[in-house]
Amino acid sequence: MSALCLLAILVVITLQVLARWSGIAFPGSSEYAGYLMAAASFLAFAHTLNRAAHIRVNLLLSVLGERRFWGELWCLVIACAASTYLAWFAVRAVYWSWKLHDVSQGQDATPLWIAQAPMAVGAVILAICFLDNLVTLITTGRDNIRLDLAEQSRAE
Amino acid sequence: MEQFYAIGLFLFVLFVLLGSGVWIGLALLGVAYFGMEIFTSRPTGDAMMTVMWRSASSWSLTALPMFIWMGEILYRTRLSEDMFKGLAPWMARLPGGLMHTNIAGCTVFAAVSGSSAATLTTVGKMTIPELRKRRYPERMVIGTLAGAATLGLLIPPSLTLIVYGVSINESITKLFMAGIIPGLILSALFMCYVVAVSQLSKSYNPAPEPHMAFREKVRQSRFLIPVFTLILLVIGSMYAGVATATEAAAIGVIGSLILALWQGSLTRQAFFETLMGAARTSAMIAFILAGAAFLSLAMGFTGLPRGLAQVIAAMELSRFELLMVLMVFYIVLGCFLDGISIVVLTIAIVEPMIRQAGIDIIWFGIFVVLVVEMAQITPPIGFNLFVLQGMTGHDMGYIARAAFPMFLIMVLMVFILIAFPELATWLPANMRAAG
Repeated sequence: MSALCLLAILVVITLQVLARWSGIAFPGSSEYAGYLMAAASFLAFAHTLNRAAHIRVNLLLSVLGERRFWGELWCLVIACAASTYLAWFAVRAVYWSWKLHDVSQGQDATPLWIAQAPMAVGAVILAICFLDNLVTLITTGRDNIRLDLAEQSRAE
Repeated sequence: MEQFYAIGLFLFVLFVLLGSGVWIGLALLGVAYFGMEIFTSRPTGDAMMTVMWRSASSWSLTALPMFIWMGEILYRTRLSEDMFKGLAPWMARLPGGLMHTNIAGCTVFAAVSGSSAATLTTVGKMTIPELRKRRYPERMVIGTLAGAATLGLLIPPSLTLIVYGVSINESITKLFMAGIIPGLILSALFMCYVVAVSQLSKSYNPAPEPHMAFREKVRQSRFLIPVFTLILLVIGSMYAGVATATEAAAIGVIGSLILALWQGSLTRQAFFETLMGAARTSAMIAFILAGAAFLSLAMGFTGLPRGLAQVIAAMELSRFELLMVLMVFYIVLGCFLDGISIVVLTIAIVEPMIRQAGIDIIWFGIFVVLVVEMAQITPPIGFNLFVLQGMTGHDMGYIARAAFPMFLIMVLMVFILIAFPELATWLPANMRAAG
């Protein structure tokens, strides 16, 4: 999904460049690219988590050794709480945008709830993903998150 | 006094959450929530969504996934082999020999890649085996590679500069332009170091290269055409003002796709891998940015940045002293956090300080990237060291010692930058801005 959004961003930006060079107006292209960016990010959050590409400070966790389980447990409990909170308010934000017929301030005048909906969906998936990891950790002693160093380092 | 305790508690929560290994984006979100709850009576959740939405859907941020994607594509092409073939004939005669391909390769690749680890892996996968085959001293090979790869962040495009620009609302194109000259100077310094070592060290006697006629050298240079075309397209279009940073990134993606197709290295599966890889990395950064946007909102309510700026102002530090304090501060932080997290985390606090001291905000961006990059090659967590460990099999201590001279060269570069601020400010002031 988020990969498609990236592809769409590329298309929108390219169209924008072509439009400007050829003098045709393409109103709201920056806004569309922005919405797609938000969608791409939020929809990819959960996938990114399970591939261990979200960064964290590993120093303490690696020192814990045998007791690492408790460290992971603490992190996942916090993360579950925070991501659930995020998901709840993301859904609420979309609901209010829809209810109040909020429209984008930019040239595009897109109803905001459409633009924001992927964000809410992504936030909910992330929260579920964290809960799933927490349950897996408690029942099997190991979460679903698998590290791939080459993956993680690509951002630096 | 009560305010004081509250701020202390706020910082304490920040350190506990980050230090215990909670994912950075969520840790920032948690601290910000905590800060909002104790410092204001505003509805926390709704304020959170407003700033997060604004941060996540920002137009300038779209440059990020595009540049990451471009790097992913280029990593899968034969670009690094081609670069080695094209550069090697020219470097062979220099004192120090092919060791320079490490540095020149990183410099060139840095101009199409926004990340130092990507630069490191792409250049290193070619130069390490080639240099080993010719019996260059291992330690120098690793050291120069670790150091020169940090150019990936200094020479545009640069992910850290995008993040910095988005955080302080400055033109990313300007920041990019500001990085060019310091990046080239740093690269020249690295090369001087190689020359010096090759003359002084006795163990530096690699297998000599066969002689090559000038015409043959020029012929070999054809391998450099694709990468230089890309550089010209991406940086040139920004400098000439025909494209914004995001648009230049899109042009770069299309260019590298064409290159990959032409080389035949782009299968359907590889294409999807590049897309997914880019999606993951950009989601990771966007997550931190969203958390950080919320945190700086909360930070504003705590009064911490303003207070700190006043304290610093009251101390009447000279500009130089302030920068030294910040440099040490960033290097220490860099021992625990990655570059992007450091930038987003500190910028809300540091920005008022910088503005008060009258330091140019674009210049400061280059300064931050430089010092953050130093952290990249210092233990305990320097990403470049990790990557090199994976690539060469040497242990961390060895790699860190090999990279240490490069660290010192970068410190020297910081002083040069402080002494001649025009190095960073001249280009951005003299370019045409895209409409």
